[in-house]
Amino acid sequence: MATFGSFALIAALALAAYNLLAGIFALRLIATGAQARISPERLADTARRAGIASFVAVSCAAFALIWSVFHNDFSIAYIVEHSNRALPAAYKFSALWSGQEGSLLLWAWLLAGYGFVLRLTHKNDVKLYAYAGTILAGIQVFFLSLLNFAAPPFSLLPGYVPGGPLPDDGNGLNPLLQYPEMVIHPPMLYLGYVGFSVPFAFALGALMMRYPGEKWIRITRVWTMVTWTFLTCGIFLGMHWAYAVLGWGGYWGWDPVENASFMPWLAATAFLHSVMMQEKRGMMKSWNVWLIFVTFMLTIVGTLLTRAGLVSSVHAFAQSSIGTWFYVFLGLVLLVCLFTFILQKDHLKSDHQLESLVSRESSFLFNNLVLLLGCFVILLGTFWPIVSEYVWDRKETVSGPYYSAVAIPIGLFLLFLTGVGPLLPWRSASLKAIRRNFVIPVIALWGTVIVALVAGVRPWKDGEFQAGTFYALIAFALAAAVLTAIVSEFLRGAGVIAKQTGKNLFAALVLLTRRNTRRYGGYLIHIGLVIAIIGFAGAAFNRNVEQEMGLHSKIHLGPYDLECIGFSQDSNANYNSEFALLDVTSNGKPVKVLTTSGFTNLQMTPEKRVYLASQQPQTMVAIHSVPEWDLYVVYEGINPDSGQPIIKAILNPLVGWIWFGWIVIVIGSIIALVPSIIPSTVVLKVPARATVPTAALKGGD
Amino acid sequence: MTSNTGLIAGLLLLIGAFVYTFWPENSFAAQKQKTQLDYLLERKEQLYENLRDLNFEYRAGKYPEEDFEAQRASLETETAQLLSEIERLQQA
Amino acid sequence: MRLSFTKWTFWVKAAQAAALMVALCFTLGATDAGSRFNDLGHRMVCPCGCAQLLGECNHVGCPDSDRMRSQLASYIRDNKGDKDILTAFAAEYGPTVLAAPTTQGFDLVAWIAPGAVFLAALFGVLLVARHWAATRPQAVTAQSETPEMSAIKDKIRRETGADGGF
Repeated sequence: MATFGSFALIAALALAAYNLLAGIFALRLIATGAQARISPERLADTARRAGIASFVAVSCAAFALIWSVFHNDFSIAYIVEHSNRALPAAYKFSALWSGQEGSLLLWAWLLAGYGFVLRLTHKNDVKLYAYAGTILAGIQVFFLSLLNFAAPPFSLLPGYVPGGPLPDDGNGLNPLLQYPEMVIHPPMLYLGYVGFSVPFAFALGALMMRYPGEKWIRITRVWTMVTWTFLTCGIFLGMHWAYAVLGWGGYWGWDPVENASFMPWLAATAFLHSVMMQEKRGMMKSWNVWLIFVTFMLTIVGTLLTRAGLVSSVHAFAQSSIGTWFYVFLGLVLLVCLFTFILQKDHLKSDHQLESLVSRESSFLFNNLVLLLGCFVILLGTFWPIVSEYVWDRKETVSGPYYSAVAIPIGLFLLFLTGVGPLLPWRSASLKAIRRNFVIPVIALWGTVIVALVAGVRPWKDGEFQAGTFYALIAFALAAAVLTAIVSEFLRGAGVIAKQTGKNLFAALVLLTRRNTRRYGGYLIHIGLVIAIIGFAGAAFNRNVEQEMGLHSKIHLGPYDLECIGFSQDSNANYNSEFALLDVTSNGKPVKVLTTSGFTNLQMTPEKRVYLASQQPQTMVAIHSVPEWDLYVVYEGINPDSGQPIIKAILNPLVGWIWFGWIVIVIGSIIALVPSIIPSTVVLKVPARATVPTAALKGGD
Repeated sequence: MTSNTGLIAGLLLLIGAFVYTFWPENSFAAQKQKTQLDYLLERKEQLYENLRDLNFEYRAGKYPEEDFEAQRASLETETAQLLSEIERLQQA
Repeated sequence: MRLSFTKWTFWVKAAQAAALMVALCFTLGATDAGSRFNDLGHRMVCPCGCAQLLGECNHVGCPDSDRMRSQLASYIRDNKGDKDILTAFAAEYGPTVLAAPTTQGFDLVAWIAPGAVFLAALFGVLLVARHWAATRPQAVTAQSETPEMSAIKDKIRRETGADGGF
């Protein structure tokens, strides 16, 4: 199978290279109108088919690797390093991305997959798709060259001769990856990373061919949204995984790899917003082109960070030689972008100008400013250790405290803009309009501040200032304001529809959303984000207790009492484990939870595993989640002196809101992807003016 | 799977890909050049959308009367110019 | 434009007030031993490679964190200043033990750059916006309207007035 896999990779590279070269040649012929022996359109079509065939070839290679994992083919070095016989079947898939070669193969496969869909749907706009397909083929050539020459996944075990002796078992999969979410988190993240190649290819292609109008944005929008959603899911799944598996009670550690996924997310979010200005008003064309270029380049930087061991990180792979490849590729991409931009700059003139500093457009400008500032700060923090070592030969650490000091204010400002933006009308807003739209959110803001202060969220404790609580207070207040603003947007719109159609409010809300899925789906994404931010702010109030637990000893934390009713050990073919059994009561009463056998008393079993193949330990955290907080219990290990387990219990307020917010974001994204009902141009029987009594205008809020 | 069968499978893949790529077929989609008219019609769609949106937001109470009147006037002027251009092209 | 600038002044003033408040509070706080221990423990990382903050590092068998925490506690008992303590740790374990860049020398860049970039970008945006607003073409006046134009406009209003025609 190794032979077949290697062969398939070479074939894929050849096909992608043909796609690239024939594509360039054909498009050049079409652009210049030069005569050739073969019809350029026919040539372009063979290029497109080569791209499709290349997807089949990469799929064969990916299949070959998976097949080898499942058949424990230990003649392949990669399989020895990343799998073992006892590994459960679901995790055998994870072997595909647990190492460098495999994850590059996954990257190439997903890229080819996106390209496959793109090339199949080329009839939407043949010429634009031909450009995009050719650019995509260029990216494919890079990744396939890497796979063929720098990081071959099918290389045989050193010293292995066919028919010779093989290792009995592999070294096993990294235990950190042996968790259900790890089967979907990396592919999601990769789908997000890789997917930005497509809008990048469209933008670059549209610029190269001087695409008339802004319709290419509408074509790419679906791609950008889908990719953005995958990346969002990838990031949130990663956070949840870190929370449930790493056992330190948090979900985000500002690790370089986490930052690597966050930076393109920020840039892409900026793009998704500012591109609306181009679609609607023909503004900001150069800016948008560069935003998508930068987003794509940040995904490459992210891969460089994770794959090439540029910055030390918990989950980066070992130092390797492929870094140079990425630098060259990054430089090449930058050159192509710069060259195309300079050549076609006159094509990107704005159709309109900004009409007022106070308008939806300018709120997008500020939104972009703040998102990119966030991106810059994270980039700076991530690369600071390198910069600092280079400039004054001092190796430094940049972790949580730096980002909390710098990134939290930026995040809060962004939250503020999330609320302001939707309230400002397009083009321009007069003072009267602002007053009308802002009254209720501002009341909500101050109301929340007062309620929070009364409820005990006070930034001052014993005469001492608590920065975390202060930020949390601002976050809660802004969140309330933003939620009010968005909900009032929904209600206002639904009110108009209800009045026109006589439907009830709920039906009107549904119709409103279907009429403009993009806007109201987007608002729903904002709601989800706000909910998640409320969850993040909860971290300011974390509490924890760590204690050695004898039989029947108790931990008291918040309203909870945890009583140890036993500790034990277990083992299976994959791992040995130790765990404690804890009975949980809240204010003296047992906590009831719904299980398959009806409501039962809550019992928590935090666990520690040692995986046999890799001899690596792994914490299995026990979590009891309710809307107010998570009770998070970690089995820390056994005290060698007393033989008794050490248990750490953490009360994490509002963490559940983060995951709930994420679900809302995903729902919002799906809604935004559904096409809107196309408005007919049928004239209403009643003239527009007559449908709105003046009283309704005054009471618009 | 031995390396020989792997090689054969690989060759089959290569032949298949080659045949698929260069299969003589004349029904490939043509690269139509977008005309000025297509472009203007797209723009009209967008401007109509903007106008509908403006109307809707006005009805939802987001614009004071004066703002609405001024903006509708400017959008309508822009759209009218576009429409007369479209008409001219369609008659030509 | 005028409106927008008054609004801006308001925000700038509010931001100044908030910044002043925060700064004031930082200088006041963190006096008793327990909170100093907590505060300093969160300004250093555990050097064992677990990538956790010293105050939060709790994995069993950590070769460094317990020893360093007792060292920190003894420094605090000896009434050493925050800065001295951090310098002492940095001297013993290398500057990587500090969780964030210091506020001296080249490290200042890490702290100033975000604010500087923000201000520069803000200035840029305002400049661009002003330029746009100044060069905006004047709205066409209604007087120059031909009958054909107004006919087209009537058609437009009929076709879009219903905002989707429910």
